[in-house]
Amino acid sequence: MKDVIVIGGGPSGLAAASSLAEKGYNVAIIERKEELGGILDQCIHDGFGTKIFRKALSGPEFVDHYIDKINKLGVDVYLESFVKTIDVEGDLKKVICISPKDVNKLETRALIFAVGCREKTPFEIKVGGTRPAGVYTAGMVQRLINIYGILPGKNVLLVGGGDVGMIVARHLYLEGVESILVVYPEDFFVGLPRNVQQCILDFNIPYRPRTIVKEIVGKKRVEGAMLTKVDKNWNPIPGTEEFYKCDSIIFSVGLVPYTGKLEEINAKIDPKTRGPEVNEFFETSVPGIFAVGNLVQIFDYVDDAVESALISAEGVEKYLAKVPKRTTPIKINPGNNVLSVIPQRIEWEDNKDIISFFRPAITIKNAILELTNEKNEVLKTFRRPFVRPSTLERIKISRKVVLSSKEVFLNVRESS
Amino acid sequence: MSLESKVKKIIGKFPYNISFKIKDNIVFLEGVVEKYEEWVEIGLEIGGIKGVEGVVNKIICKEIPEKQTEKDEKRKEIFEKMKEKIIGSYDIVIIGGGIIGTAIARELSRYKVKVALIEKEPDVGLGASRANNGMIHPGIAPPKDSLKRILNIRGNAMYDELTEELGVRFKRVGSLLLITPRTLERYKKYLRGPLFKLVSKYILPWIVKQKGVRNGVKGIKILRGKEIFEIEPKANKDTIAAVYIPSTGIVDPYELTIALAENAVANGVEIHLNTEVVGFIKSNLSIEGVVTTKGVYLCKYVINTAGVYADEIAEMAGAREYTIHPRKGVILLFSKDIEGWIRHCTAELRFPQPKTTKGGNINPTIHGNIIWGPTAVEIPDKSDTSVKKEEIDFVLKKFSTIAPNFPKNKLIRYFAGVRAPTFTEDFIIRPAKWVKNFLHVAGIQSPGLASAPAIAEYVINLLRKMELKLDPNPNFNPRREPIPSVAEMSLEELERKIKEDPRWGRIVCPCEMVSEAEIVEAIRRGARSIDAIKRRTRAMMGFCQGSYCILKIAKILARELKIPLNEVVKEWKESKLFDGIVRGESS
Repeated sequence: MKDVIVIGGGPSGLAAASSLAEKGYNVAIIERKEELGGILDQCIHDGFGTKIFRKALSGPEFVDHYIDKINKLGVDVYLESFVKTIDVEGDLKKVICISPKDVNKLETRALIFAVGCREKTPFEIKVGGTRPAGVYTAGMVQRLINIYGILPGKNVLLVGGGDVGMIVARHLYLEGVESILVVYPEDFFVGLPRNVQQCILDFNIPYRPRTIVKEIVGKKRVEGAMLTKVDKNWNPIPGTEEFYKCDSIIFSVGLVPYTGKLEEINAKIDPKTRGPEVNEFFETSVPGIFAVGNLVQIFDYVDDAVESALISAEGVEKYLAKVPKRTTPIKINPGNNVLSVIPQRIEWEDNKDIISFFRPAITIKNAILELTNEKNEVLKTFRRPFVRPSTLERIKISRKVVLSSKEVFLNVRESS
Repeated sequence: MSLESKVKKIIGKFPYNISFKIKDNIVFLEGVVEKYEEWVEIGLEIGGIKGVEGVVNKIICKEIPEKQTEKDEKRKEIFEKMKEKIIGSYDIVIIGGGIIGTAIARELSRYKVKVALIEKEPDVGLGASRANNGMIHPGIAPPKDSLKRILNIRGNAMYDELTEELGVRFKRVGSLLLITPRTLERYKKYLRGPLFKLVSKYILPWIVKQKGVRNGVKGIKILRGKEIFEIEPKANKDTIAAVYIPSTGIVDPYELTIALAENAVANGVEIHLNTEVVGFIKSNLSIEGVVTTKGVYLCKYVINTAGVYADEIAEMAGAREYTIHPRKGVILLFSKDIEGWIRHCTAELRFPQPKTTKGGNINPTIHGNIIWGPTAVEIPDKSDTSVKKEEIDFVLKKFSTIAPNFPKNKLIRYFAGVRAPTFTEDFIIRPAKWVKNFLHVAGIQSPGLASAPAIAEYVINLLRKMELKLDPNPNFNPRREPIPSVAEMSLEELERKIKEDPRWGRIVCPCEMVSEAEIVEAIRRGARSIDAIKRRTRAMMGFCQGSYCILKIAKILARELKIPLNEVVKEWKESKLFDGIVRGESS
């Protein structure tokens, strides 16, 4: 019987596991790949760890820090292990996982899901046309280049103006593709400004805003794409269709949390984040089942994902120690101009400040973030020089500010 | 009125100079029209005349660029090169490895005959057989006097035994035909007041049921009110009545095609892939050899099961009795996590049936997905399986009245198949009129999948009539073992298998829970591409559509075939998965 099992050996899972193991808990990690490290093993670019380590590390460097810890602490690690079923019987959780060695039946008191996210496919954004070879997702291409040493093609069209897309575009350029074009439906690149500069502008990689792929062309291998301009609501503008010749199309159009197993045990899913609903210690709606990292919310920085994991570790301690919860939780809702927010509720008796992440719905300069209650009273305000939907905002809320409310709302408005 | 004057009358309706010729009830058309839809319409109207046994539509359509001459010349060139290179001598050559060709091959393997099935693609089932909704129709739709009806009813009844023998998943889920306020909307002005309700609730369901009963469909029930939602809780609440048909089934159409092919091969049939017919060697009125891109197959009988290309094969054989007018169907596939949302093959009846969109259902699939479609659109290009965004939106709108609150955000893929109808619209299964040893199995469209086992049986009888001697094959084994599936296995069995071979415990595709052992077994059984593995194991068919596991699978395929990773193909040799420059350190 374990105190806690962590499913997923990426940065968040490793951070949660090492934090708990350091405190003497009996921890196990289940990882589906052959190695620990999660997605970071293929992220050989730098920029990881600016918040935690105060320096820009590569992905493998960042995660090695946690892998070393795990190894030193002697945490049980089940590699190449696939979780088949989870049974929740109150405080007891039974996990069955399959590996090339055996079928393992494990038991634990607490469970942390750190299974991350998957890439959105072109089908999910209804790209039309044919289904030939030569269509990829960005993460797949990153792996192909960095782990397998192979390029997808010579003339590449990259769809999406986010961080992953920009990083992969630069990589393709450096590895010697003959041509590359980046298209995206927004007015500007939605990724971090530093990536726009360092990945696109510094290398003069051509890009077209307000452009989407309407159709993939080519029967056996990609022969090109039918591009079209879109209006500000992303609707195609008739008459702007243009054939673009290429042999590969790479989609970097968003990430979706892997919630399948959580849904099987009836954890509530927030349609806005597409991840599970969590409380201030990242516990899902199922007691003793925690969720951290990109599974809960697609974070901009791995440092923030790790922070969520460390907070959840404190939650696991409380759960194991049977610290009482409030009789009624305080709900946190996205208010005006806010798309989504985590945590979705506050429910432990505690003194700790609450770390909240939220995604603004619009772009505003000189923004004021307002925390209001069910009576529309302003509880607290924060200021930001600039907010936009593609940047996740982090705020720290003092618990006593919200303690007398039933429900709180996070709003964004322009400073008047 | 004579056939001639009936044809004349129809041609007279069109503002073009069209000439025709009739030979043994086959109508040959020539001339020039402007629009493709006119090309289709003329053919269909003439094909609809009673007594017409085939329409060969050689009318040129100005809208459509002519490509046939180029194709013919290329075939001629290969023919000259290959006509002396003998591959072997066979009793029967089957042209086309779709569901029909493989079903016939397997049926023939019960007898002591030497059979070659030749297929131009790198795998069986790459035409319409892989891109339909897997529905085993009950036989309610075909006209009473059609061959379709007879073979559909018979074929449907054969499915339990066939799929049991072949280890193929099959389930009789039943179908529901919903009658809603939209069903007779167009006739509302004639059906005033309570009459509309009366007709919708009592008369129409009765008529539909009677049609089924007359066709020979058993067990049909009429459901009203609560009864409907007890068996299909998510059906549109405004449904007035429903006709329930219990014999409707669902099957994975490529799983079945592959299983038929595997079993045929195990019983002695040769399947030659990547082999395309370019012509025939004839003497007098018989075919002596089929000339292909690989060489000549000498033979006593030829069976044409070439699907959308059946007319071109018949033309090359001098047995052209029909023209195929390709009809595309777009299908939307939804993820497994809404399994059970719709339990039956559910359709909403609409009268009159819109020409281009008739048919289509919301169906469960045998694997637990839900599938919407197909559409029905006449297209000039037989190989056009593209899906336009407008078509996706069209399907999402059209079928949404069946189950209004359907979670459409669970869409994970869409695809299209091309049906192979002739202008007479019925199956054409008969010996050729002007070639002695050539058998047509053409115009196989819906309910072709449901009819497939009965078509195979029917073909055997025809071959007997064509004086083929068929002695039983004493070694025939009807059984085929499926690839064991970790996702469906008990834990005890899995534990045992992992002890034998650790690869059973290495899950490569997490969405569908497919192990390395299954992938290796699929390759051992002949999968040579990523998509061939996908069809045999379901790997890459989940939510992420392979974005997580495709590289792992490519690596396994490269290892098993002993080829470099950058030689791995998605389907064809021209569809290399990775087309780029390989750096020195590549694996």
